[in-house]
Amino acid sequence: MRKVVFSLVGVTMVLSLVLSACAPAATPQVVVQTQVVKETQIVKETEIVEVMATPVPVEDSESLPRNETLYFNGQQWGPVVGWNPYSNSNNNALTIAQQDNSRVTMFETPYLYNMLDGQMYPLLADGPFTWNDARTELTFKLKPAAKWSDGTPVTAEDVAYTWATHIKYNTPTGAANKDYVEDIQAVDAQTVVIKAKLDADGKAVNPLLVAAYVSTNYVIQKAWTQTLEDRSGGDATKLLADPAEDVVYSGPYHKFFTDDTKVVLIRDDNYWGQDASMWGKLPAPKYLAHTIFKDNAAGSLALAKGEVDVSQQFNSNIQLLWLNYGLPISTYLPEAPYGIGASLPTAFYNLNSPGLDQVAVRKAIAIAVDYPTIIANAMTNQSATFEQAPRSLMNPTPGEQALYDREAVKDLQWVGNDIEGAKQLLDEAGIVDTDGDGWREYNGQKLSYVATCPNGWSDWQAAIEVVAAAGKKIGIEITTNYPEWSVYQTVVTKSDAPLPTEGYDIFMMWSDGAGPTQPWGRIRKLLSSEFIGMASNWNGNWGQYSNPAVDELIKSIPTETDPAKLKATYTELVKAYLTDVPSFTLMYRPQSFHAVNETVWTNFPHGEDGTNPPVPPLDLTDGWSIAGLYNLTLVNP
Amino acid sequence: MQHTLRQIFRSGKFVVGFSIFAAILLIVTIYPLLVRESPLTIIGQGTFFPPGIYVSVYDSLTSPRYTLQLDDAAAKRLASRLSDDDRLAMKEWLVGAGLLESEIDTTDTARLLGLWEATYDPAKRIPGLTNAKRNYYVRLDASLDGLLATEGLSLATKDPQTGALIETGQVAQTDYANVSQVANLRVLALGTDNFGRDVLTELVTATGVSLQIGIVAGLVATLIGLTLGLLAGYVGGLVDDVITFVTNLFIVIPSFVLLILISFSIGQEQRGAFTIAVVIGLTGWVWTARAVRAQVISLRNRDHVNLSKLSGHSIFRIIVADILPYIASYVVMALILQISSAILAEAGLSILGLGPRTTDVPTLGQMMNWAFIYQAYILGKWWAYLPALAAIALVSFSMNLMNTGLDQVFNPALRE
Repeated sequence: MRKVVFSLVGVTMVLSLVLSACAPAATPQVVVQTQVVKETQIVKETEIVEVMATPVPVEDSESLPRNETLYFNGQQWGPVVGWNPYSNSNNNALTIAQQDNSRVTMFETPYLYNMLDGQMYPLLADGPFTWNDARTELTFKLKPAAKWSDGTPVTAEDVAYTWATHIKYNTPTGAANKDYVEDIQAVDAQTVVIKAKLDADGKAVNPLLVAAYVSTNYVIQKAWTQTLEDRSGGDATKLLADPAEDVVYSGPYHKFFTDDTKVVLIRDDNYWGQDASMWGKLPAPKYLAHTIFKDNAAGSLALAKGEVDVSQQFNSNIQLLWLNYGLPISTYLPEAPYGIGASLPTAFYNLNSPGLDQVAVRKAIAIAVDYPTIIANAMTNQSATFEQAPRSLMNPTPGEQALYDREAVKDLQWVGNDIEGAKQLLDEAGIVDTDGDGWREYNGQKLSYVATCPNGWSDWQAAIEVVAAAGKKIGIEITTNYPEWSVYQTVVTKSDAPLPTEGYDIFMMWSDGAGPTQPWGRIRKLLSSEFIGMASNWNGNWGQYSNPAVDELIKSIPTETDPAKLKATYTELVKAYLTDVPSFTLMYRPQSFHAVNETVWTNFPHGEDGTNPPVPPLDLTDGWSIAGLYNLTLVNP
Repeated sequence: MQHTLRQIFRSGKFVVGFSIFAAILLIVTIYPLLVRESPLTIIGQGTFFPPGIYVSVYDSLTSPRYTLQLDDAAAKRLASRLSDDDRLAMKEWLVGAGLLESEIDTTDTARLLGLWEATYDPAKRIPGLTNAKRNYYVRLDASLDGLLATEGLSLATKDPQTGALIETGQVAQTDYANVSQVANLRVLALGTDNFGRDVLTELVTATGVSLQIGIVAGLVATLIGLTLGLLAGYVGGLVDDVITFVTNLFIVIPSFVLLILISFSIGQEQRGAFTIAVVIGLTGWVWTARAVRAQVISLRNRDHVNLSKLSGHSIFRIIVADILPYIASYVVMALILQISSAILAEAGLSILGLGPRTTDVPTLGQMMNWAFIYQAYILGKWWAYLPALAAIALVSFSMNLMNTGLDQVFNPALRE
């Protein structure tokens, strides 16, 4: 018996040696293979036969042909958990992200959002969607060419069943949309109708969010979903926890190989999108690979060495890589800010802290802050300045900037460093230093605050340091403190009670980036009082600002279709925001960082690449940016 | 005592170590008296300014001007703006655009520039030209403006009413300013860091803080170790068993892991430099305790101790008067090593982001931590991390040298 086992092992070893010798430079693989066999030998002999039956995979990174592989960094931090599109805990950054700009490498949405022109482009859908006159029902058709990986067509029934499953099992997607979407139905094999939830007047509660559904959420195959349901026995927890290795998909890529060190996707050469009704060809790279790096620094080093083609992480002082080192690295824009700002990292005031209930104090601190230093030092100039994109509630994209009347709020917009103005504001409000200790008092109490953000969030920490420095200049004591994220998030997101009056006076959080519901979604999350009272508030308005007039304005936007009225409303909101200063933006941050190394691939999206519609710099995987994968060419074909 | 000191200072190693240490101490004490600026003041808008003398451009325009006729000035100016690599790259583009290679002479600057100006078009698509390279040519083209100009530059101010520019002066290429006459200049001997802070000022303060942390931690560790070691060794019996048990427990737990856990659990709010020092001290006493105990056990049965016992002296007195002096030299050496390892421990903690709070005081570990976060070593900004590294190395080198020197004096086995 023992001899048989040994001879089997011997044969396997020889076989793997021979096979790996055939594969180019796969030497490390040999070691791994023999180890597996040795382990199995002790446990069970049947498994050894299995090992022999399957051909030795050549998935080692060294054996991926460099000329057919596009390498990423900055998305995947840790091994993949699963491939289940119903769950949002797959830790599968290369394939699953249902968001404003959804990741469509493996699963697909009916439409693709393009953050550069604010338009939605059909993917699985055929032509633009239409509303009925009352704006309560949204209809779209599916492309006849759209197919699943098993060859069956993508039908309206799949779309409807996906929604039904989200609701039945109360998935994260279901929970987030059920207040706005009543039902999704298949009219015929190709036609889908989304019925909006109606309010008491028979109007849609929020048509904006209904329309956003079609570019945010994947279509998942009905047949596979049923298999999954059978497997999990109708248990929602089991369904969401299923790793779904057998999932059926419609996108151009699927799983090739994953372990603790990397994730590799391989192109599906039968992908339906090569049909003339969609892309007309296959995406250029055969493999998408993401090495799992230890930290940003390791990722940056790999980018510099040409081991990474597309980088989605903060590379500090990225311009030095081409200015000082002459590396073939570039960003979307050739000069600062190097990318398109989309979100507004913001410092919130704790409106319960003594003194911070006074607009004068809030505004004084906000106008005294040295924003150019934040942008130059914390962001190493990878943010538009407040001269380039004056402070409002909009991100710096031209589409959003056009949505409000800049002239009307010109006097309210500040660029920072206004120490004299801040002092004057405080003096006029009667908030002065009465006891001569150098710090101002309000109601006899010294103005002393703690500015904070999570520990280790380096660019935020550097920004908070600059905020603190501004306080000193205007007679308000601001010290900094950086709690661990685990502590920070529980304190900040607890909106059903006032924030503690110690330690969280000025704190940093994020805002929404670019998406089909923006800037409305961002403004709502910055200003709406509807989040006050939530025990776990991951939406926004963490400073718990409440202004009924602002709430009304925010509520009126989703159902408004007249552009002139919308512009007036947005202008009103900006005015209120800059007058009340419940929070203030510290910098602009891109939707995703996007730097490319053109050692192997070229023709990446960049500012003047002439693409129409323009391909946004979103890592070639999110929303319309996936169009960039079809434009790539090799530097040395 | 005097004899011992004289003996110590006769050891070459000790003297070298001591001199380095004294020099560091001297700098740390004197520098803050000369430079009064707070080490955490952000002065630079931008990250990692290289070391050098920074002269105000604005003030240099109004400072007295001198005309110097230097032969190589024009050549130097040209070389600083157009390198040989740039010339080759220009040739490459021109060839790509269809010009004959033989027509282009990269050494003839005027001709090369003429050709370039006539041919270069940023919109032109050249096969195989990457976006990075295209960006490079756009930058290069912009930098060539006025490269061969011989006339000076005009200075102008803006009319506040009309916004029109009014010429107020000229700067000739032969104008020079004397650095000592420029109103504003700042020497940044080690440049700035990622926050835009003066690295030298920060380094000096940080070295001082790290030394303080080392000394506090060293004292705490030595005091605990000494007390427990003396008690265990002299009293013996159950006390010895208990102390040895606890000591052994701490020996098997790697002290750095313990240090990380404690630092993490006390949270950032409480993590001042002093707290960190005490925590380091609390985890570093183990080996001192063990060694002291062993020494005391061998001393305990000496005649003079027994004599003291017979005379009815208290345990405290026996320990202090009859045992401590015999192990004093060892304790001093242990203290020096403790200080040095505490400085390293602080650096280790800070690199993990578990050091003292950033805004309180700079420490050497913090400086390296931030340099790492902002990728100074990938970008070649050595001044942000190397000086801190060197300071740690120097402090701990000098201490170890002193220790070896002392060992030579006190250890009979090593005495020459």
